Amino acid sequence: MLKIIYRRLVEVLIFVLLITFVSFLFIRLAPGDPVLTILNVDELTVSQDQVEKLREDMGFNDPLIVQYGKWIMDYIQLDFGHSYITNQPVMDVLLAVLPATLELMLGSLVVMVVISITLGSLSALYRNTWIDQISRVFSIIGASIPSFWLGLILIDLFAVRLNWFPTMGRDSFISLILPSITLGVAMAGVYVRLIRSSLLDSLGQEFIRAARSRGIPESRIFIAHAFRHSLPPVITVFGVSMGSLIGGVVVVEVLFAYPGIGKLIVDSIRQRDYPLIQGYILIMACIVFIINTIVDISYRYVHPEIRLKGRRNG
Amino acid sequence: MAEARLIQQKKWKSWKPVFAVSLLFLLLLLCGYTFLYLKHDPTLTNIGQRLQGSSMLHPLGTDHLGRDVLTRLLLGFRLTVGYSLLALLIAVLIGIPLGLIAGFRGGILDRLFMRIGDGFLAFPETIIAIVLSGLLGPGIVNLIFAIVLAKWVKYARLVRSTVMAEVQKDYIMAAKINGLPAWKIMTKHLLPHIIGNVAVTASLDFGKIILLISSLSYIGLGAQPPTPEWGAMLNESRPYFQMNPELMAYPGIAIVVVVLISNILGDWLRDRFDVKKEVDL
Amino acid sequence: MILTVNNLHVRSKTKELVKDVHFSVRPGEWFALVGQSGSGKTLLSQAIGQMLGPNLKADGEIIYQDRNLLDLSGKEMKKLRGKNISYIFQDYQGSFTPFMTIKQHFKEYQKAHGIKSSKEREEQALTALESVGLEAGIYKRYPFQLSGGQLQRVSIALALLLKPDILISDEATTALDSVSSRLILELLSNLQKETNCAVLFITHDWRHVKRYADHIAVMKEGEIVEKGGRHRVLDHPRHPYTKQLINSAPTLSQTGLLGVNNDAVRS
Repeated sequence: MLKIIYRRLVEVLIFVLLITFVSFLFIRLAPGDPVLTILNVDELTVSQDQVEKLREDMGFNDPLIVQYGKWIMDYIQLDFGHSYITNQPVMDVLLAVLPATLELMLGSLVVMVVISITLGSLSALYRNTWIDQISRVFSIIGASIPSFWLGLILIDLFAVRLNWFPTMGRDSFISLILPSITLGVAMAGVYVRLIRSSLLDSLGQEFIRAARSRGIPESRIFIAHAFRHSLPPVITVFGVSMGSLIGGVVVVEVLFAYPGIGKLIVDSIRQRDYPLIQGYILIMACIVFIINTIVDISYRYVHPEIRLKGRRNG
Repeated sequence: MAEARLIQQKKWKSWKPVFAVSLLFLLLLLCGYTFLYLKHDPTLTNIGQRLQGSSMLHPLGTDHLGRDVLTRLLLGFRLTVGYSLLALLIAVLIGIPLGLIAGFRGGILDRLFMRIGDGFLAFPETIIAIVLSGLLGPGIVNLIFAIVLAKWVKYARLVRSTVMAEVQKDYIMAAKINGLPAWKIMTKHLLPHIIGNVAVTASLDFGKIILLISSLSYIGLGAQPPTPEWGAMLNESRPYFQMNPELMAYPGIAIVVVVLISNILGDWLRDRFDVKKEVDL
Repeated sequence: MILTVNNLHVRSKTKELVKDVHFSVRPGEWFALVGQSGSGKTLLSQAIGQMLGPNLKADGEIIYQDRNLLDLSGKEMKKLRGKNISYIFQDYQGSFTPFMTIKQHFKEYQKAHGIKSSKEREEQALTALESVGLEAGIYKRYPFQLSGGQLQRVSIALALLLKPDILISDEATTALDSVSSRLILELLSNLQKETNCAVLFITHDWRHVKRYADHIAVMKEGEIVEKGGRHRVLDHPRHPYTKQLINSAPTLSQTGLLGVNNDAVRS
């Protein structure tokens, strides 16, 4: 197990290194002058001399390699720079908003899991009845709906017209509900069908019949045998869709003006706040790495054969 | 008992292509209409006429700048779908040759390629798109570029595994023994399999790309106003959302319909080709 | 009579798969149900335990303990299944849930039938494993770590654990090699004599019938074409189909091929 973690770590590190170098290049070569951006914040009219001086001070006139070298050194010493706009330390800014995003991700996950397990199981148990048809329609539409549009509808209906929820911000637990539903529903579509087909497959297995012949209660058969057996493919897809969760969070945050890391990064992009962008890349790499590793480990746990490989007897 | 199940499945799936294709046909008709007969200039602003409801002149009303919504919607079809197709095509065109080389030749090139691919795959596509378009700046060109960069890996890998799986088989071996040159083996024997797998993945991906483009345009990172791309249109109608919610309804429905069609078609393609032996991603 | 079947029909939506079957099984008797694949013998055995698939329906009487099993509710049937009536199947690997250890299988089974103390469960399980000739180490293993013969032994251990009145064996040795089959069947025969458990032995292998059966019923296309005591059927078969089956069975002497003493071979 440690081996996997180690390997993944190396992969992610290499990738991050690559991407930071590429992003570094892009930033320096891209249109838009960071110096002007910084100065514009204060809305002062500045003279050419002042611009030049700032450029020199910030090291923008040094050769690229030097700049990159300096930047790497800073990063290794855990100095991630300061935001161009607010001049606050990058990591402080990012870490301050991270919890909000994590809450949202968790909330969406809960919604998604509840909906997909319920609908998926029901449609497997009652296949070809009206429940099954509804869940089919649900999953196919759910996969086609842009999450932000669904969010707009939900806002219009529940926040504006009925006034049950706030339309934006993060005041309390209540404000977490609409965004979580938006993202959760958008993701559940795929899972409903997956769980359904995986369950149907499991329910048709011989060992289900064997357990029945021993007089094991149906409920236990369903949960401990059939459902558990359907997990591996679901977990695999789960791992992959963690990506769309992380990505989807960004859009939902912007839509609901929810103060998380997604909204922050979009604002930063618009303002060309590069240190922040680079810090974001780094944090994302960590999060992705952690999630992928967790998924890997749980996959092995669910499949004892993989775990016990090498200790086969008989 | 098993046969009964199979029969039921077959009947259920037959409606998909008919439904999808007829919807698509309808849309294409509408789209063709715009080519022939554009009543209104989609970008001409006419503040005097802003935010009108449906009328004879403007079947779907006007937006906050007095532009005809229907025209913009139809044009948006060309743009949204066009951009997505473009992104998809480029990603596929990059992925296929790279995957062919990696799968066929193997060796160091292949391993290097796999490493890079692993790295890319570890990152969610949306984030890659956001980050890249963020680094390059907002704009639809950058967005397409970002999407291509995020997606090519999937197709390259798909092609690579298909090649590796097929190359093991006897008929390829026979072709090699008969002295067929490598490129001929690739085009004549491997290509059909590759195209099959790619087509299934691509059609399912198409919907996702549309959603990606419209989502990112919505948050301002893709198509910029006054381009009548659907996501951008939704972004523009944000401030007027409370008063004139229809403005956001139309582009949204449009997106849902197109993505729906693409998903249904993709599903049907996948069922037909039975990619149940899920090719290694 | 421990089990009596009268006028049993099993129908799908379009066909009648088991037609008007009658037979009885006496306590402690080895009752062989013989026929080719598709003759309906498996469906018959499933009907007894209310284990038919969703598209099939059974009519008639299956009398056990003075009640018609077909009239029982699912709940009532569940109490009987595994306790009074148990099964072993042909697919030995498929009879076990891949991600559960043998211990977990026992535990679940024992718990479902009211054995609460874990100490008691373990003792009972280990004794059962011993009685089928397996060592205690098997207890903690996963099914994929055991061989076919071992798995069938565990199946037998489970099936006889709660001292059922009747054990339904659906082609339990068909998938095993002939050496293992012999050993498994010897084991089963000994155990059932000890516990006085009747065995409904479904097979298409005439050799097993000749060796173990007390009573024989021959099935063809859903009907029982001949039944009777072993000597009557084996020595004086009446129905042409029965004669056909007997003639086409390979003849082996009682001690097996080349006179090898099979008891010396362990699986």
